[in-house]
Amino acid sequence: MDILSDSADMSAYVDGFMWVLRLTITSAIASFILGVILAGFRVSPIPVLRGIGFLWVSAFRNTPLTLIIFFCYFALYSTFGLKFSGNITINNFWLGVVGLSVYTASFVCEAIRSGINSVPVGQVEAARALGLTFMQVLRLVILPQAIRSTIGPMGSVLIALAKNTTIVGTIGVIEASSVMKGLINDHGDQVIPIFVLFAGTFAVVLIPTGYLFGWLSNRYEVKR
Amino acid sequence: MAEQQALIEIDHVNKWFGELHVLKDITLNIERGEVVVLLGPSGSGKSTLCRSINRLETINDGEIRFDGQPLPAEGRSLAKLRADVGMVFQSFNLFAHKTILENVTLGPIKVRKDKPAAAKEQAMALLKRVGIDSQANKYPAQLSGGQQQRVAIARALAMRPKAMLFDEPTSALDPEMVGEVLDVMVSLAEEGMTMVCVTHEMGFARSVANRVAFLADGQLVEQATPEEFFADPKSDRARDFLAKILTH
Amino acid sequence: MDSSRRHPGIVAVAVVVLVAVLGFVSACSSSSSDSTQSAATGDGGIIAKAKTGKLIIGVKADQPGLSLLTPDGYEGYDINIAKIIAAGLGVRPEGIEWKTTVSINREPFIETGVVDLVVATYTINDARKKVVAFAGPYYTAGQDLLVRADSTITGPEDMAGLIACSVTGSASALRMQKDFPDVQLQLFDSYSKCVTALSGGVDAVTTDSIILAGYAAQPHNVGKFKLTGREFSREPYGIGLAKQDVAGCNRINEILVASAADGTYDAAFVESLGPSGLKPPVLDPAQLTNCPTS
Ligand SMILES: Nc1ncnc2c1ncn2[C@@H]1O[C@H](COP(=O)(O)OP(=O)(O)OP(=O)(O)O)[C@@H](O)[C@H]1O
Ligand SMILES: [Mg+2]
Repeated sequence: MDILSDSADMSAYVDGFMWVLRLTITSAIASFILGVILAGFRVSPIPVLRGIGFLWVSAFRNTPLTLIIFFCYFALYSTFGLKFSGNITINNFWLGVVGLSVYTASFVCEAIRSGINSVPVGQVEAARALGLTFMQVLRLVILPQAIRSTIGPMGSVLIALAKNTTIVGTIGVIEASSVMKGLINDHGDQVIPIFVLFAGTFAVVLIPTGYLFGWLSNRYEVKR
Repeated sequence: MAEQQALIEIDHVNKWFGELHVLKDITLNIERGEVVVLLGPSGSGKSTLCRSINRLETINDGEIRFDGQPLPAEGRSLAKLRADVGMVFQSFNLFAHKTILENVTLGPIKVRKDKPAAAKEQAMALLKRVGIDSQANKYPAQLSGGQQQRVAIARALAMRPKAMLFDEPTSALDPEMVGEVLDVMVSLAEEGMTMVCVTHEMGFARSVANRVAFLADGQLVEQATPEEFFADPKSDRARDFLAKILTH
Repeated sequence: MDSSRRHPGIVAVAVVVLVAVLGFVSACSSSSSDSTQSAATGDGGIIAKAKTGKLIIGVKADQPGLSLLTPDGYEGYDINIAKIIAAGLGVRPEGIEWKTTVSINREPFIETGVVDLVVATYTINDARKKVVAFAGPYYTAGQDLLVRADSTITGPEDMAGLIACSVTGSASALRMQKDFPDVQLQLFDSYSKCVTALSGGVDAVTTDSIILAGYAAQPHNVGKFKLTGREFSREPYGIGLAKQDVAGCNRINEILVASAADGTYDAAFVESLGPSGLKPPVLDPAQLTNCPTS
C-alpha cells in the first residue's frame, strides 16, 4: 500500500498508535485504581462515601465521553487554568487521561461492584467473624474474588477504553484517528485503504486482547 | 473476681427486625468451659441470638457482655472481640479463592499478627487434628461438605478463641458426614472449650451439653440440664417441640 | 441514467467504494479520474446541466461569514459567489441544491458527480488540479493570525513557545508546523473550538485571513479579537468542477468578470464580510488562468 511507502506517513501512523497505546495504558491504570476505590465507596458502611460513589457513577457513566474530554480542555484547562505541563502535547495528553479515567473508572467501579455482589455474603460474615476490619475484608476476601469474576467484563472495559482514546484527538493529541483524517486529507483517492489500515490495526490488537481476557477469566475463575 | 463471672452474659436483650420482635427480653449466662445448646422451633430466634454474641447482628435493647466487657459497637475493638469468639456457620463459608491452609492461616496472620511460619505450623496441627492435613493445598470446592466444615472449625480455632459459636453446623451436610463434624465438636467440648451451639442433633445435646436453652417465638422459655430437659420438659411449648422431633 | 439521477448519493458512494477497493487490492497509486464518469453533470458539463434549471453546489456549513448553515439556509460570501455563478448560467436561486462538503470530500464529490460545482474556501493548487478543474480565483486569502484584542503578537515570529491553534490536517496547521517549529500547535477538529479557546488556553488562531475575519465578525466576538494583518501565505480560492469540463470552467470565469463589471461581485463581499473590516477584493482577470487547456 503506497500510503505507507512514504516514510513521513509511516511515522505518523506509528506515532498515532503510540499515542493510543500511551493513553490506553495510563488511563487503564488510573481508572482501575480509581474504580476500585469507588467500588469500595459504593459498598462501604459509611453513607457519605456510598453517596459519593453513587453520584460519581451516575454522573460520568451517563455523560458522553466527548463532552467530558471537551470539559477537561475548555473548563479545567481553558477556564480554570489546570496545567500539567508547559508542553502543549503533554498537557493535552494528561487532560485526556483525566477525562478518560474519570469516565472509565465509573465502568470499572460497576464491573467490580457486580463482582463484589457475586461474592457470597457468608464469606464476608466469616471474615468479619475472624476479626478482620472492613478494609481487610474488602482487600483480602471480597476484592480478590470480585476482581477475578470481573476479568471478563474488565476486558470489555479495556477494549472500549482503547477505542475511546481516539476521542482525545478532539483536543489535539494526534492519535491514530487524527492521523487517519490527516492521511485521508492528503490522499483523498485512498479513503478506503487508509480506513481499512487503521480499523484493521485496532482489530489486530483488540481481537486477541478480547480472547486473552476470556482465557484469563476462565483460568482465574473462582470455583465455588 | 473474673473467675466467678460468666464468660458470656446476655442481659435483658431485645431485638426487632422491623416490626418483628425476634428476641424478647432474653437473659442467659454462659459460664467458662460450659457447653450450651440452643433448641427451639424454626424462626424462634436461635440463630439471631447466637449471631448477636459476636455482633453479626446488632441488638436494640439490653446488653451483652463478653469476658466482663460490653460488646464494642464497631471498629478495632469490635474486631478484637470477634477474634476472641470463633464462629462456625451452617454453610461453611470458606474463602473460595484461598487454599485450605490459607483459609486457616489468614486470621492468625492478619488479625493476631502471627509470623507466617508459626501460623502455618499451627494450621497444619489443627488440620491434622480435624483430619484434613493431607488436603492443605486444595481449594474448598475440591472438598466434601463434611471436610469443609471441619476446615471451618480449624479456621475458627486458629484464632485461639475464648468461646466458639456454632449455628447449625451439620444441617447442610449429607447424613453420612454429620458424624465426622460432631466428633470434632465433642472433642472440643471435652477439652473445656466454652461453646454455644444451635443444633438439631439431639444426641449431641444429650451427651455433650451442660445445659439446654429452649427458645420459642423469641422467648427463652426454659433452660435445664439435658437430662432434665429431655426427660421432663416444664413448658408445653418444649413438650410439643420434643414430641415433634422425637417422632421423626 | 434516470435511476442515477434519483440516487446520485448511492451511486457515488458505490463508485467511491469500488474505486477505492480496487485501488487497495491492486495497490494502484495513480488517482484515475478518467475512469469515473461524471454522474450528476453528465457528458455535457455544467452548461448543459444548467439548462435543466438545476445545479448541485457543494459548500461548507461551518464557516461564519463565508459559508454557514443557519436555520434560514446557507449564507455567506461563498454562497453569494455561488449564486452569482448560478445566475450567470441561467439557474435561479431556487434551482440550486446546496450540499454540505468538508475539506476531505471535495475532490471525491466532484469526481463522482455528487455535486456539479464546489465553492468552499477551496484553495487552488497543483495537486488538486490533477484531479479537478478550477475556475477563478475569485478571492486570494492568506494565512494570518487571529489574536486577542490586547495581544502584542504581530506575526508568527513573535510566538516562540506560545500556542497557536488550527484544525487537524489543515494546510494552515502543516505550514505552521513546517515554517515555525518553535510555535506550539493546538489542534482541534474545527476553527470554532480554536476561537473559543482563544479566550483562554491558546494565544492565536491561525488559518486563512478571510475565515478568521468571519469569526471575528460574529456578533458575540466583536471587539474581543483582531487579525494581525500580516499574511504569510497565498491561498487563491477557486471554484471546483469536473476536470474534463473545460467549457464550463471558462464560462465561470466569464461570469466572474461580468459580475465584477456590474457590481454584484463587490456586493457579494460587502453583504457578507463587510463588518469584518477586510477590504473587498478586486478581481484581476489576468489571474483567471487555471482552467485546463485541452
Ligand atoms: N435479616 C433478617 N431480616 C428480617 N427478618 C429476619 C432476619 N433474619 C431473621 N429474621 C427473622 O427473625 C426470626 C428469627 O430468625 P432466626 O434465624 O434467628 O431463627 P432460628 O431459630 O435460627 O430459625 P431456624 O431454625 O429456621 O434457623 C425469623 O422469623 C426470621 O424470619
Ligand atoms: Mg437458624
